[in-house]
Amino acid sequence: MKFAASLCLGVSLLASHALADEVTIGLAGPLSGPQAYFGSTWHNGFKLYVDQLNAAGGVNGTTIAIDQQDDKADPREGTLVAQKYCDNDDVVLGLVNFNSGVAQSTLPIYEDCSLPTMTFGSNPALTQQGYKFMVRPVANDLAGALLPAEYALGELGAKKAIVVNDKQVFGQGISEIFANNFTTGGGELLDTLAIAPTDVDFTAVLAQIKSKSPDVIYLGAVMPQLALFAKQMHEQGVTATLLVPDGGYTPDFISQAGEANVQGAIVAIQVPPMDASPDIAAFGKLYKEKYGEEAGPYSIYGYVQAQILEEVLKTTKGFSREEMNDALHAVKVKTAVGELEFDEVGELKVAPSYLYKVEGKDFMMIGSK
Amino acid sequence: MLGTIIQQTVNALTIGSIYALIALGYTMVYGVLRMINFAHGEMFMLGAYAAFLALTLVVGDIGAVGAIALTLVFFGAIVAVGFVGVGIERLAYRPLRNSTRLAPMLSSLGVSLSLVTGVQILAGPQPVGFPSFFPTTRFDVFGGTVTLVQIGILIAAFILMFGLYTLVNRSRMGIIVRAVSESRPTAQLLGINVNLAISMVFFSGPLLGAAGGILYASYYGIMSPTMGAVIGLKAFTAAILGGIGSIPGAMLGAYILAFVEVGGTALLPVVSGGVLGTEYRDVLSFAILILVLLIRPAGILGEPVSEESMVYKREF
Repeated sequence: MKFAASLCLGVSLLASHALADEVTIGLAGPLSGPQAYFGSTWHNGFKLYVDQLNAAGGVNGTTIAIDQQDDKADPREGTLVAQKYCDNDDVVLGLVNFNSGVAQSTLPIYEDCSLPTMTFGSNPALTQQGYKFMVRPVANDLAGALLPAEYALGELGAKKAIVVNDKQVFGQGISEIFANNFTTGGGELLDTLAIAPTDVDFTAVLAQIKSKSPDVIYLGAVMPQLALFAKQMHEQGVTATLLVPDGGYTPDFISQAGEANVQGAIVAIQVPPMDASPDIAAFGKLYKEKYGEEAGPYSIYGYVQAQILEEVLKTTKGFSREEMNDALHAVKVKTAVGELEFDEVGELKVAPSYLYKVEGKDFMMIGSK
Repeated sequence: MLGTIIQQTVNALTIGSIYALIALGYTMVYGVLRMINFAHGEMFMLGAYAAFLALTLVVGDIGAVGAIALTLVFFGAIVAVGFVGVGIERLAYRPLRNSTRLAPMLSSLGVSLSLVTGVQILAGPQPVGFPSFFPTTRFDVFGGTVTLVQIGILIAAFILMFGLYTLVNRSRMGIIVRAVSESRPTAQLLGINVNLAISMVFFSGPLLGAAGGILYASYYGIMSPTMGAVIGLKAFTAAILGGIGSIPGAMLGAYILAFVEVGGTALLPVVSGGVLGTEYRDVLSFAILILVLLIRPAGILGEPVSEESMVYKREF
């Protein structure tokens, strides 16, 4: 009996290696909760390109299946999903965790089962921990918080800043980087304040901020706190310019805070505007046709990651996790956001980042790097 | 400086009023049934959703609504949630009233989870923007900023709390509720309709909680299916702090908690010279709660446990 079972297992293992006419990609991200918009639109961008590949008969005959899971932006859920992918032999690559805090706890699991991942969490520390099976196809927070600091010092002529963060891996990390860049650029950091990630009332914090009258406030947090903070900031009569990270790049930021309350707020994100190049514009049109709504903030990166995957499938020697990982690290591909390749720790060699300002109901691009 | 003090005081009063409206529901239910109604935080959430539903269904365009329509929506929504509260008691708590003391509490946990999940399925898990019930006018008072929303919340909360106070202390219904709260078996022996009194409590508690939910959602401009969890815990804390079972205690506890929270945010970094940041706010408020309970286990205005009630408790 035991022999039969192991024989079966052996045969099925052989089969999956020998044939490999279909590879499964694990997609984990927040699909419910306040950040669902980011997670689902990011995944949709990926699926859009994969559907095109599959419709054309796959990459060199290999079609792509998708196993999509909700990590709820929660590290506990994320680790469960990670284990699920690890245990499923069909999954050869993961497109994982939107949130740095989730990625922080899932990356060791993926490393243990040798499952290569394209990680989306942008905390710089993620690539500094020696993981062999990850790459990050998006700019990290070092880039994400440099541009806003330069803009605040240069264009806005700001001298004094206050930094507020939510004490999470992402929020605290990016706001410290902003504070660093701001002070080394000659600005003065008046104070660093912390809020709890479940807080909705910032009036007390804002009253303290108001008495110090800063020129700019950097808020390292996620939605919906960004919107709540912007609204209460305006209501409490704080006139400093609000700078927020990528989480604010969503229509919800403007609608939940109230249009009048966010005018002039500045959002830094790694995403180019949808009219930046013909490739991106074409993608925006395709996305709208398929899903009936405008592409989300990170949809283009989902699409780009699928383009990376296509190149990986073309160049990989085989479909084992190790072979896929080698191909992923060696990849050099022209994508919708330009030519991408990874350095030895899996970080992008050239990582674009952009700055937007809220004007009316829209985000206007005011800078890029 | 004066401006900051005024502003922080108004901030604390606003949050305190919302906590108080919810804390009253916990304390009244405990008063008559000696049970913690864990589903009460969800009444707060339902209030906001009911008002939003009423606004979109009845009025259609939320932007152009008159004050009278808003008042009607407000009262319609809170009365509706009041009836939901009565229904929950009838279906989920009353059948368990004479079983163990834990059974209705577990039942209320179940109700809480089903309500959150139900709303998540029906209305979506994402936070939704909520139109303010008050104009967004701002006033400058000695350099501090006070919004009309905050003033509106204070007035509405005071009216509602005064209404409850009158109902409990000045009406016949109030006498019945107080009698049941003092001793249910005795009240029953004297021919008082105990079920009516309990229904009354389960009507007015959720009604106030729902009002708190609407005020909260207009204040922050946002509502979500899980909004009742954190704020419900805070209000529950306030009820314990003030002395659970006592109505003035719940209000007092709520304002104390709010002032400690706001004061903690404002003063912690200053007093500690920057060592303790604003993130220690909750540590401070709960440390104070523990301290109060060590000195007065029944809460600030709670009745010390008497010989009789010990006997009463042992029955369970």
